[in-house]
Amino acid sequence: MSETTPKRPSRWTDEHRVREHALLAEMAGLDEDSPRRAIVRDELVRMHMPLVEHLARRYRDRGEAYEDLVQVGMVGLVKAVDRFDTERGVEFSTFATPTIVGEIKRHFRDRTWSVKVPRRLQELHASVTKAVERLSAELGRSPTVKEIAARLDVTEEDVLDALEIAQAYTTSSIDAPARDEDSTSIADSIGGDDPALEAVEYRESLRPLLDALPDRERRIVMLRFFHNQSQSQIAVAMGISQMHVSRLLAASLSKIRIGLEAAENDR
Amino acid sequence: MPDTVTLVIPADTAYVSLARSVAASMAARADLTVDHLEDVRLAVDEAVSQLIHDASDGSITIHFMVQGDGLAIEVTAPATKELARDTFAWTVLSALVDDVTATAVDGTATIALRMSRRQDA
Repeated sequence: MSETTPKRPSRWTDEHRVREHALLAEMAGLDEDSPRRAIVRDELVRMHMPLVEHLARRYRDRGEAYEDLVQVGMVGLVKAVDRFDTERGVEFSTFATPTIVGEIKRHFRDRTWSVKVPRRLQELHASVTKAVERLSAELGRSPTVKEIAARLDVTEEDVLDALEIAQAYTTSSIDAPARDEDSTSIADSIGGDDPALEAVEYRESLRPLLDALPDRERRIVMLRFFHNQSQSQIAVAMGISQMHVSRLLAASLSKIRIGLEAAENDR
Repeated sequence: MPDTVTLVIPADTAYVSLARSVAASMAARADLTVDHLEDVRLAVDEAVSQLIHDASDGSITIHFMVQGDGLAIEVTAPATKELARDTFAWTVLSALVDDVTATAVDGTATIALRMSRRQDA
Protein backbone atom coordinates (compact mmCIF):
# COMPACT_ATOMS: atom_id res chain seq x y z
CA MET A 1 0.00 0.00 0.00
CA SER A 2 1.63 3.17 -1.15
CA GLU A 3 -0.75 5.48 0.68
CA THR A 4 0.85 8.18 2.73
CA THR A 5 -0.66 9.18 6.00
CA PRO A 6 -2.61 12.38 5.57
CA LYS A 7 -1.94 15.31 7.82
CA ARG A 8 -4.24 15.30 10.78
CA PRO A 9 -7.15 17.67 10.44
CA SER A 10 -6.16 21.06 11.79
CA ARG A 11 -8.63 20.69 14.63
CA TRP A 12 -6.49 17.90 16.00
CA THR A 13 -4.86 19.38 19.07
CA ASP A 14 -2.34 18.08 21.58
CA GLU A 15 -5.28 17.48 23.82
CA HIS A 16 -6.77 15.06 21.25
CA ARG A 17 -3.43 13.34 20.97
CA VAL A 18 -3.10 12.75 24.67
CA ARG A 19 -6.66 11.50 24.85
CA GLU A 20 -6.06 9.16 21.90
CA HIS A 21 -3.00 7.63 23.51
CA ALA A 22 -4.78 7.20 26.82
CA LEU A 23 -7.73 5.46 25.16
CA LEU A 24 -5.53 3.15 23.09
CA ALA A 25 -3.52 2.21 26.15
CA GLU A 26 -6.68 1.59 28.14
CA MET A 27 -8.20 -0.52 25.40
CA ALA A 28 -5.09 -2.69 25.20
CA GLY A 29 -5.55 -3.58 28.86
CA LEU A 30 -9.24 -4.48 28.64
CA ASP A 31 -10.81 -7.90 28.12
CA GLU A 32 -12.59 -8.67 24.83
CA ASP A 33 -15.99 -8.74 26.52
CA SER A 34 -15.49 -5.93 29.01
CA PRO A 35 -18.35 -3.40 28.76
CA ARG A 36 -15.82 -0.62 29.22
CA ARG A 37 -14.03 -1.79 26.10
CA ALA A 38 -17.07 -1.04 23.93
CA ILE A 39 -17.19 2.51 25.29
CA VAL A 40 -13.50 3.15 24.69
CA ARG A 41 -13.75 1.62 21.22
CA ASP A 42 -16.69 3.89 20.37
CA GLU A 43 -14.87 6.99 21.44
CA LEU A 44 -11.80 6.04 19.42
CA VAL A 45 -13.94 5.42 16.35
CA ARG A 46 -15.79 8.72 16.71
CA MET A 47 -12.54 10.56 17.27
CA HIS A 48 -11.11 9.34 13.97
CA MET A 49 -14.15 9.89 11.81
CA PRO A 50 -12.51 12.99 10.25
CA LEU A 51 -9.67 10.75 9.05
CA VAL A 52 -12.17 8.49 7.29
CA GLU A 53 -13.93 11.49 5.77
CA HIS A 54 -10.64 12.90 4.60
CA LEU A 55 -9.66 9.63 2.90
CA ALA A 56 -13.15 9.13 1.41
CA ARG A 57 -12.98 12.59 -0.16
CA ARG A 58 -10.00 11.46 -2.23
CA TYR A 59 -12.23 8.92 -3.96
CA ARG A 60 -15.15 11.22 -4.65
CA ASP A 61 -16.34 11.69 -8.24
CA ARG A 62 -15.57 8.15 -9.23
CA GLY A 63 -19.15 7.06 -9.48
CA GLU A 64 -19.85 6.05 -5.90
CA ALA A 65 -21.72 8.11 -3.34
CA TYR A 66 -19.46 9.89 -0.84
CA GLU A 67 -21.68 8.68 2.03
CA ASP A 68 -21.14 5.06 0.94
CA LEU A 69 -17.39 5.59 0.85
CA VAL A 70 -17.46 7.02 4.37
CA GLN A 71 -19.51 4.07 5.48
CA VAL A 72 -17.10 1.44 4.11
CA GLY A 73 -14.17 3.51 5.38
CA MET A 74 -15.71 3.29 8.85
CA VAL A 75 -15.61 -0.49 8.60
CA GLY A 76 -11.87 -0.17 8.01
CA LEU A 77 -11.51 2.19 10.94
CA VAL A 78 -13.28 -0.21 13.30
CA LYS A 79 -11.01 -3.03 12.14
CA ALA A 80 -7.97 -0.82 12.72
CA VAL A 81 -9.11 0.07 16.24
CA ASP A 82 -9.59 -3.62 17.01
CA ARG A 83 -6.25 -4.66 15.60
CA PHE A 84 -4.02 -1.83 16.75
CA ASP A 85 -1.12 -2.90 18.86
CA THR A 86 0.32 -0.17 21.10
CA GLU A 87 3.58 -2.09 21.36
CA ARG A 88 4.39 -1.49 17.71
CA GLY A 89 5.34 2.10 18.30
CA VAL A 90 3.51 3.57 15.33
CA GLU A 91 0.90 6.31 15.43
CA PHE A 92 -2.65 5.04 15.21
CA SER A 93 -3.43 7.10 12.10
CA THR A 94 -0.41 5.63 10.31
CA PHE A 95 -1.66 2.18 11.14
CA ALA A 96 -5.32 2.88 10.32
CA THR A 97 -4.88 4.65 6.97
CA PRO A 98 -4.04 1.61 4.82
CA THR A 99 -6.87 -0.38 6.42
CA ILE A 100 -9.40 2.37 5.71
CA VAL A 101 -8.14 2.95 2.16
CA GLY A 102 -8.17 -0.82 1.64
CA GLU A 103 -11.87 -0.99 2.47
CA ILE A 104 -12.65 1.92 0.17
CA LYS A 105 -10.71 0.37 -2.70
CA ARG A 106 -12.37 -2.96 -2.07
CA HIS A 107 -15.72 -1.25 -2.35
CA PHE A 108 -14.79 0.02 -5.82
CA ARG A 109 -13.46 -3.36 -6.86
CA ASP A 110 -16.55 -5.10 -5.59
CA ARG A 111 -18.90 -2.79 -7.40
CA THR A 112 -17.35 -3.25 -10.80
CA TRP A 113 -18.68 -5.28 -13.68
CA SER A 114 -16.09 -7.51 -15.33
CA VAL A 115 -17.50 -6.62 -18.75
CA LYS A 116 -19.23 -3.51 -20.01
CA VAL A 117 -22.87 -3.94 -19.06
CA PRO A 118 -25.51 -1.49 -20.26
CA ARG A 119 -27.06 0.65 -17.57
CA ARG A 120 -30.52 -0.83 -18.20
CA LEU A 121 -29.24 -4.34 -17.50
CA GLN A 122 -27.37 -3.22 -14.41
CA GLU A 123 -30.58 -1.77 -13.04
CA LEU A 124 -32.55 -4.84 -14.05
CA HIS A 125 -29.99 -7.01 -12.30
CA ALA A 126 -30.41 -4.98 -9.13
CA SER A 127 -34.23 -5.22 -9.20
CA VAL A 128 -34.19 -8.95 -9.98
CA THR A 129 -31.79 -9.59 -7.10
CA LYS A 130 -34.14 -7.75 -4.78
CA ALA A 131 -37.24 -9.47 -6.17
CA VAL A 132 -35.67 -12.93 -5.73
CA GLU A 133 -34.92 -12.09 -2.13
CA ARG A 134 -38.41 -10.74 -1.35
CA LEU A 135 -40.31 -13.45 -3.20
CA SER A 136 -38.22 -16.15 -1.53
CA ALA A 137 -39.19 -14.75 1.85
CA GLU A 138 -42.87 -14.46 0.89
CA LEU A 139 -43.20 -17.87 -0.76
CA GLY A 140 -40.89 -19.79 1.53
CA ARG A 141 -39.10 -21.14 -1.57
CA SER A 142 -37.14 -19.83 -4.52
CA PRO A 143 -39.39 -18.07 -7.10
CA THR A 144 -39.77 -19.01 -10.76
CA VAL A 145 -38.79 -16.71 -13.62
CA LYS A 146 -42.50 -16.20 -14.35
CA GLU A 147 -43.15 -15.04 -10.79
CA ILE A 148 -40.24 -12.61 -10.85
CA ALA A 149 -41.38 -11.20 -14.22
CA ALA A 150 -44.90 -10.70 -12.89
CA ARG A 151 -43.66 -8.99 -9.75
CA LEU A 152 -41.44 -6.55 -11.65
CA ASP A 153 -43.80 -6.15 -14.61
CA VAL A 154 -41.08 -7.07 -17.10
CA THR A 155 -40.83 -9.94 -19.60
CA GLU A 156 -39.45 -13.37 -18.73
CA GLU A 157 -36.68 -12.68 -21.25
CA ASP A 158 -35.67 -9.64 -19.22
CA VAL A 159 -35.44 -11.73 -16.06
CA LEU A 160 -33.33 -14.33 -17.87
CA ASP A 161 -31.05 -11.57 -19.17
CA ALA A 162 -30.63 -10.25 -15.64
CA LEU A 163 -29.83 -13.72 -14.26
CA GLU A 164 -27.34 -14.29 -17.02
CA ILE A 165 -25.64 -10.95 -16.60
CA ALA A 166 -25.27 -11.68 -12.89
CA GLN A 167 -22.50 -14.06 -13.93
CA ALA A 168 -20.56 -11.10 -15.32
CA TYR A 169 -20.28 -9.33 -11.99
CA THR A 170 -16.80 -9.65 -10.56
CA THR A 171 -16.54 -12.63 -8.28
CA SER A 172 -15.49 -10.59 -5.27
CA SER A 173 -17.84 -9.78 -2.48
CA ILE A 174 -20.36 -7.38 -4.02
CA ASP A 175 -23.09 -8.21 -1.64
CA ALA A 176 -21.01 -9.46 1.21
CA PRO A 177 -22.35 -8.54 4.62
CA ALA A 178 -20.72 -5.74 6.57
CA ARG A 179 -19.72 -8.15 9.29
CA ASP A 180 -16.24 -9.54 9.30
CA GLU A 181 -15.90 -12.72 7.27
CA ASP A 182 -13.79 -14.25 10.01
CA SER A 183 -16.84 -14.39 12.22
CA THR A 184 -19.14 -16.29 9.83
CA SER A 185 -20.60 -19.00 11.99
CA ILE A 186 -21.86 -21.69 9.64
CA ALA A 187 -19.59 -24.43 8.43
CA ASP A 188 -16.44 -22.72 9.62
CA SER A 189 -14.70 -26.01 9.99
CA ILE A 190 -15.65 -27.25 6.54
CA GLY A 191 -12.63 -27.71 4.33
CA GLY A 192 -10.53 -30.14 2.40
CA ASP A 193 -10.57 -32.63 5.29
CA ASP A 194 -14.35 -32.96 5.28
CA PRO A 195 -15.37 -36.64 5.66
CA ALA A 196 -17.91 -36.16 2.85
CA LEU A 197 -14.96 -36.12 0.45
CA GLU A 198 -14.09 -39.75 1.17
CA ALA A 199 -16.29 -41.11 -1.60
CA VAL A 200 -14.60 -39.11 -4.34
CA GLU A 201 -11.80 -40.66 -6.30
CA TYR A 202 -8.78 -38.48 -6.93
CA ARG A 203 -9.61 -36.68 -3.70
CA GLU A 204 -5.88 -36.34 -3.26
CA SER A 205 -5.96 -34.06 -6.30
CA LEU A 206 -9.18 -32.44 -5.22
CA ARG A 207 -8.15 -31.47 -1.69
CA PRO A 208 -5.41 -29.01 -2.58
CA LEU A 209 -7.71 -27.44 -5.16
CA LEU A 210 -10.42 -26.97 -2.55
CA ASP A 211 -7.89 -25.62 -0.09
CA ALA A 212 -6.69 -23.14 -2.70
CA LEU A 213 -10.15 -21.59 -2.97
CA PRO A 214 -10.88 -18.54 -0.84
CA ASP A 215 -12.56 -19.57 2.44
CA ARG A 216 -16.02 -18.46 1.46
CA GLU A 217 -15.93 -20.15 -1.95
CA ARG A 218 -14.72 -23.39 -0.38
CA ARG A 219 -17.54 -23.33 2.16
CA ILE A 220 -20.10 -22.70 -0.55
CA VAL A 221 -18.75 -25.56 -2.69
CA MET A 222 -18.78 -27.97 0.25
CA LEU A 223 -22.28 -26.97 1.36
CA ARG A 224 -23.78 -27.23 -2.12
CA PHE A 225 -22.06 -30.37 -3.42
CA PHE A 226 -21.31 -32.38 -0.32
CA HIS A 227 -23.90 -31.24 2.21
CA ASN A 228 -26.96 -30.96 0.03
CA GLN A 229 -27.76 -27.34 0.85
CA SER A 230 -29.68 -25.39 -1.81
CA GLN A 231 -28.30 -22.18 -3.27
CA SER A 232 -30.98 -20.24 -1.40
CA GLN A 233 -30.17 -21.89 1.91
CA ILE A 234 -26.49 -21.11 1.43
CA ALA A 235 -27.34 -17.53 0.47
CA VAL A 236 -29.27 -17.03 3.72
CA ALA A 237 -26.58 -18.69 5.81
CA MET A 238 -23.79 -16.62 4.29
CA GLY A 239 -25.72 -13.36 4.12
CA ILE A 240 -25.27 -12.94 0.36
CA SER A 241 -27.71 -13.09 -2.56
CA GLN A 242 -28.65 -16.36 -4.25
CA MET A 243 -27.31 -14.95 -7.52
CA HIS A 244 -24.01 -14.32 -5.86
CA VAL A 245 -23.89 -17.92 -4.59
CA SER A 246 -24.55 -19.12 -8.12
CA ARG A 247 -21.77 -16.94 -9.49
CA LEU A 248 -19.25 -18.12 -6.90
CA LEU A 249 -20.17 -21.76 -7.52
CA ALA A 250 -19.66 -21.38 -11.27
CA ALA A 251 -16.29 -19.70 -10.80
CA SER A 252 -15.14 -22.28 -8.24
CA LEU A 253 -16.21 -25.24 -10.37
CA SER A 254 -14.32 -23.87 -13.30
CA LYS A 255 -11.16 -23.43 -11.20
CA ILE A 256 -11.48 -26.97 -9.82
CA ARG A 257 -12.09 -28.44 -13.26
CA ILE A 258 -8.97 -26.80 -14.68
CA GLY A 259 -6.96 -28.02 -11.69
CA LEU A 260 -8.23 -31.59 -11.97
CA GLU A 261 -7.44 -31.70 -15.67
CA ALA A 262 -3.93 -30.46 -14.99
CA ALA A 263 -3.50 -33.12 -12.27
CA GLU A 264 -4.77 -35.79 -14.66
CA ASN A 265 -2.26 -34.78 -17.31
CA ASP A 266 0.52 -35.07 -14.74
CA ARG A 267 -0.50 -38.56 -13.79
CA MET B 1 -45.78 -29.91 -30.67
CA PRO B 2 -43.02 -31.27 -28.45
CA ASP B 3 -41.21 -28.65 -26.40
CA THR B 4 -37.75 -29.79 -27.44
CA VAL B 5 -34.65 -27.88 -28.43
CA THR B 6 -31.49 -29.43 -29.82
CA LEU B 7 -28.22 -27.57 -29.77
CA VAL B 8 -25.13 -28.75 -31.59
CA ILE B 9 -21.87 -27.03 -30.70
CA PRO B 10 -18.22 -27.65 -31.59
CA ALA B 11 -16.38 -29.59 -28.88
CA ASP B 12 -14.64 -26.42 -27.79
CA THR B 13 -14.92 -24.69 -24.41
CA ALA B 14 -15.58 -21.38 -26.17
CA TYR B 15 -19.12 -22.62 -26.92
CA VAL B 16 -20.06 -23.80 -23.44
CA SER B 17 -21.63 -20.46 -22.56
CA LEU B 18 -24.12 -20.96 -25.38
CA ALA B 19 -25.20 -24.26 -23.83
CA ARG B 20 -25.52 -22.58 -20.43
CA SER B 21 -27.78 -19.86 -21.83
CA VAL B 22 -30.06 -22.29 -23.61
CA ALA B 23 -30.19 -24.40 -20.43
CA ALA B 24 -31.39 -21.39 -18.43
CA SER B 25 -34.04 -20.51 -21.04
CA MET B 26 -35.34 -24.06 -21.13
CA ALA B 27 -35.37 -24.26 -17.33
CA ALA B 28 -37.52 -21.13 -17.33
CA ARG B 29 -39.84 -22.69 -19.91
CA ALA B 30 -40.11 -25.73 -17.66
CA ASP B 31 -41.15 -23.29 -14.92
CA LEU B 32 -38.34 -24.30 -12.57
CA THR B 33 -37.51 -22.08 -9.62
CA VAL B 34 -34.47 -19.81 -9.91
CA ASP B 35 -32.63 -22.10 -7.50
CA HIS B 36 -33.16 -25.05 -9.84
CA LEU B 37 -32.59 -22.96 -12.96
CA GLU B 38 -29.16 -21.94 -11.71
CA ASP B 39 -28.42 -25.54 -10.73
CA VAL B 40 -29.37 -26.68 -14.25
CA ARG B 41 -27.10 -24.01 -15.69
CA LEU B 42 -24.19 -25.28 -13.58
CA ALA B 43 -24.98 -28.92 -14.37
CA VAL B 44 -24.99 -28.31 -18.13
CA ASP B 45 -21.73 -26.43 -17.79
CA GLU B 46 -20.21 -29.39 -15.97
CA ALA B 47 -21.61 -32.11 -18.26
CA VAL B 48 -20.67 -30.32 -21.47
CA SER B 49 -17.18 -29.51 -20.16
CA GLN B 50 -16.67 -33.17 -19.22
CA LEU B 51 -17.65 -34.42 -22.63
CA ILE B 52 -15.59 -31.77 -24.42
CA HIS B 53 -12.67 -33.01 -22.39
CA ASP B 54 -13.35 -36.67 -23.27
CA ALA B 55 -14.23 -36.08 -26.92
CA SER B 56 -11.08 -35.64 -28.95
CA ASP B 57 -12.85 -33.55 -31.54
CA GLY B 58 -16.18 -33.31 -33.33
CA SER B 59 -19.28 -31.81 -31.86
CA ILE B 60 -21.40 -31.97 -28.73
CA THR B 61 -25.14 -32.42 -29.08
CA ILE B 62 -27.46 -31.27 -26.33
CA HIS B 63 -31.16 -32.10 -26.29
CA PHE B 64 -33.37 -30.11 -23.95
CA MET B 65 -36.85 -31.54 -23.37
CA VAL B 66 -39.50 -29.72 -21.38
CA GLN B 67 -41.73 -32.42 -19.97
CA GLY B 68 -44.86 -32.50 -17.89
CA ASP B 69 -42.97 -32.57 -14.63
CA GLY B 70 -39.73 -30.79 -15.43
CA LEU B 71 -36.75 -30.72 -17.74
CA ALA B 72 -34.71 -33.55 -19.26
CA ILE B 73 -31.33 -32.88 -20.82
CA GLU B 74 -29.13 -35.24 -22.81
CA VAL B 75 -25.58 -34.36 -23.68
CA THR B 76 -23.81 -36.60 -26.18
CA ALA B 77 -20.36 -36.60 -27.75
CA PRO B 78 -18.14 -38.92 -29.75
CA ALA B 79 -16.20 -40.48 -26.87
CA THR B 80 -15.59 -43.94 -25.52
CA LYS B 81 -15.25 -43.11 -21.85
CA GLU B 82 -18.24 -43.33 -19.53
CA LEU B 83 -18.36 -40.73 -16.78
CA ALA B 84 -17.48 -42.66 -13.63
CA ARG B 85 -19.55 -42.43 -10.46
CA ASP B 86 -16.59 -41.83 -8.20
CA THR B 87 -15.48 -38.62 -9.90
CA PHE B 88 -15.89 -35.08 -8.64
CA ALA B 89 -17.93 -34.29 -11.79
CA TRP B 90 -20.43 -37.01 -10.89
CA THR B 91 -20.67 -35.75 -7.32
CA VAL B 92 -21.34 -32.25 -8.62
CA LEU B 93 -23.93 -33.37 -11.17
CA SER B 94 -25.84 -35.56 -8.74
CA ALA B 95 -25.92 -32.74 -6.19
CA LEU B 96 -27.28 -30.33 -8.80
CA VAL B 97 -30.04 -32.36 -10.48
CA ASP B 98 -32.50 -35.08 -9.47
CA ASP B 99 -31.17 -37.79 -11.70
CA VAL B 100 -27.91 -38.42 -13.55
CA THR B 101 -27.09 -41.29 -15.88
CA ALA B 102 -23.96 -41.80 -17.93
CA THR B 103 -23.32 -44.28 -20.70
CA ALA B 104 -20.80 -44.89 -23.46
CA VAL B 105 -22.08 -47.10 -26.27
CA ASP B 106 -20.64 -47.56 -29.77
CA GLY B 107 -18.34 -44.57 -29.54
CA THR B 108 -20.98 -42.20 -28.20
CA ALA B 109 -20.79 -41.00 -24.61
CA THR B 110 -23.98 -39.64 -23.06
CA ILE B 111 -24.71 -37.79 -19.85
CA ALA B 112 -28.43 -37.51 -19.14
CA LEU B 113 -29.81 -35.14 -16.53
CA ARG B 114 -33.30 -34.74 -15.14
CA MET B 115 -34.67 -31.91 -13.02
CA SER B 116 -38.22 -32.18 -11.71
CA ARG B 117 -40.43 -29.24 -11.08
CA ARG B 118 -40.86 -28.95 -7.34
CA GLN B 119 -42.11 -25.94 -5.50
CA ASP B 120 -40.43 -26.82 -2.27
CA ALA B 121 -36.95 -25.39 -2.61
